[in-house]
Amino acid sequence: MQAIAEQKSIYLQDYEARSAQLDEPKWLARLHRHGIERFEAQGFPGRTVEAWRKTDLTPVLREHFVPSGGPGQVDSGLIEKAGALGKAHRLVFVDGWLDPGLSELGNLPRGLTLAPLSEYGERLPAVIQDALGAFIDTASHPFAALNTAFFRDAIVVHAARGATIEQPVVLVHLLTPGADRRAVYPRAVIIAEEASQLRLVEQFIGADEPFVLNCPVAEIVARQGANVDYYKVQEEGAGSAHLGAVHAEALRDATIHMHSFACGARLARTDIYANLIGAGADVTLNGLYLTNERQYCDHHTWVNHKAEHGTSRQLFKGVLQGRSETVFDGLVKVFEGAQKIDARQENRNLLLGKLALAHSNPRLEIHADDVKCSHGSTVGQLDDEALFYLNTRGIGFDDAQGLLTFAFADEMLKPIRLDALYEYERQALFQRLPGAEMVREMS
Amino acid sequence: MALLEIRNLRAKIQGVEILKGIDLAIERGETHAIMGPNGSGKSTLAKVLAGDPSYEVVDGEVLYQGRNLLDLAPEDRAREGVFLGFQYPVEIPGVSNTYFLKAALNAIRKYRGEKELDAMEFLQLIKERAKSVKLDEALLRRPVNEGFSGGEKKRNEIFQLAVLEPYLAILDETDSGLDIDALHSVAEGVNSLRNEERGFLVITHYQRLLNYIIPDKVHVLLNGRIVKSGGKELAEELEESGYALFEDAAA
Repeated sequence: MQAIAEQKSIYLQDYEARSAQLDEPKWLARLHRHGIERFEAQGFPGRTVEAWRKTDLTPVLREHFVPSGGPGQVDSGLIEKAGALGKAHRLVFVDGWLDPGLSELGNLPRGLTLAPLSEYGERLPAVIQDALGAFIDTASHPFAALNTAFFRDAIVVHAARGATIEQPVVLVHLLTPGADRRAVYPRAVIIAEEASQLRLVEQFIGADEPFVLNCPVAEIVARQGANVDYYKVQEEGAGSAHLGAVHAEALRDATIHMHSFACGARLARTDIYANLIGAGADVTLNGLYLTNERQYCDHHTWVNHKAEHGTSRQLFKGVLQGRSETVFDGLVKVFEGAQKIDARQENRNLLLGKLALAHSNPRLEIHADDVKCSHGSTVGQLDDEALFYLNTRGIGFDDAQGLLTFAFADEMLKPIRLDALYEYERQALFQRLPGAEMVREMS
Repeated sequence: MALLEIRNLRAKIQGVEILKGIDLAIERGETHAIMGPNGSGKSTLAKVLAGDPSYEVVDGEVLYQGRNLLDLAPEDRAREGVFLGFQYPVEIPGVSNTYFLKAALNAIRKYRGEKELDAMEFLQLIKERAKSVKLDEALLRRPVNEGFSGGEKKRNEIFQLAVLEPYLAILDETDSGLDIDALHSVAEGVNSLRNEERGFLVITHYQRLLNYIIPDKVHVLLNGRIVKSGGKELAEELEESGYALFEDAAA
């Protein structure tokens, strides 16, 4: 208990030292203060907190992560990855600091606003100020609270009413060895106005050496009839921790398609909150996690059907190698009056490592009587019969494993509606497959 | 040298002995049929020859073109030209029939030091072979066996046989569950693939398949042993009298 009390005071001290130096707009100072108060009220979760029971935070609690003080040196490998998705409207942050040189903000189309918060000063439009921090639940998510207390710049993405943004928006967060034992708090607010269309990728990339605490928060609002694709690519280096949260708010007839691809960091967790608050809202949450060695990867989801005629689809798949451990924990909650909704939730795990461990906990809570809900989960190994069948056709053991694993994972890649991202994730998958050379030729 | 020579083969699964001393020799170009009731060990023999790791060989040897077959991993048996047509072909979701066969064919060609086929050559080959065994071309693009009817699955096995061109083809109850039309076309496919180099071991419960695939020799398998061997007339004899006639011999 003492250790926890001490942690609180350290982060509070950091906050106080920092806020004394900052000269920021009052509303923003209030938001930061709100964040630290929320954090102080709960502290880091112990293992008695149900939602955090399986997440072993010891490595994070042992350190004191001071907010990153400036951008570190970016090597060519990271730069290459930062540009891997090709033509895009791109903002690149290095250790939490905007890098204008790596960013590509030329030729922004009409209807798209893409800028760091720091550019606005006092003149921030109300629509953005009202949304930033309005949705994410800082009361029950300590890392979202820390983010809210410490984020030093936020990314503002806004699609105007009726605008169709052709090129994807790509937000890149690079972590360098310079951020070792530092915390980075990426923050994004994404607003799609009525009937607009927006595709967005948020990439978290890092060097292997540093132990960075990366705590991103993204808030997404899709207003009536808007259509948002949000892809999260989480592949920090092997030494880091990622504790992130995404909140999506779907209004009437809005469609939000989310895809989480997680294969990086030593300890990674993404909590996804989706509220279907308008009638006819349609939310898809897809996820693919690939883990190895002693990686820990966790997805928690909360899908709240608060209006009628909503549709939600969740499918998360995991491929576990080595001694890795994963969690999928999802709650679909149907509120009173949310009739005629259709919710599906599924989690499938493939254990390639004999010592790998997958926890799966899909849950339903239904307070309406005319709904369609289903959920399911599986944890299993490759089918011996299928392996033998492939062997009898001349395909060796590694190749057969690779082929079956690829087929399992590819189901999650197929729905990606950005060709460059599809290709990028396929390559990341190949890198981790046994027999990848053959599979690469095949497909 | 025989194509396949099985000597005193004994095998068990989960501690239970199923094959209790099998002796059998197949020459190049010959088609042999193995008949027997359920539980006699027919499928076990097929699986053991293909290298299914769930079976344990406890005694005997199998020579394939003079080499010890049992020493080879299942994929190497396939690359050496042994093919097993499954009684229950396995569904492989997410892997298209075409990709699957290309992987198989190129693995085999690579092993033999032959040039791998490029995409065009390969497509041409599978289209031609699909036609020859009357496989609907739409099935080429579908995931392997997924959602195929029973007849389509069996036809797909024969199609794979036609593409992979093995020296020894073992067909495990390829006739089971087929209606007469499907049976006819599967048999036609097999007959078109018979030649002086290739041997067939056709395993069946019923004689009717052997009306269409005329074997050179017929063996009766009972309780893990071959109790009688003869020409094609043995199959007809069995059809009339049933297996009871041989049960004394097996005991």
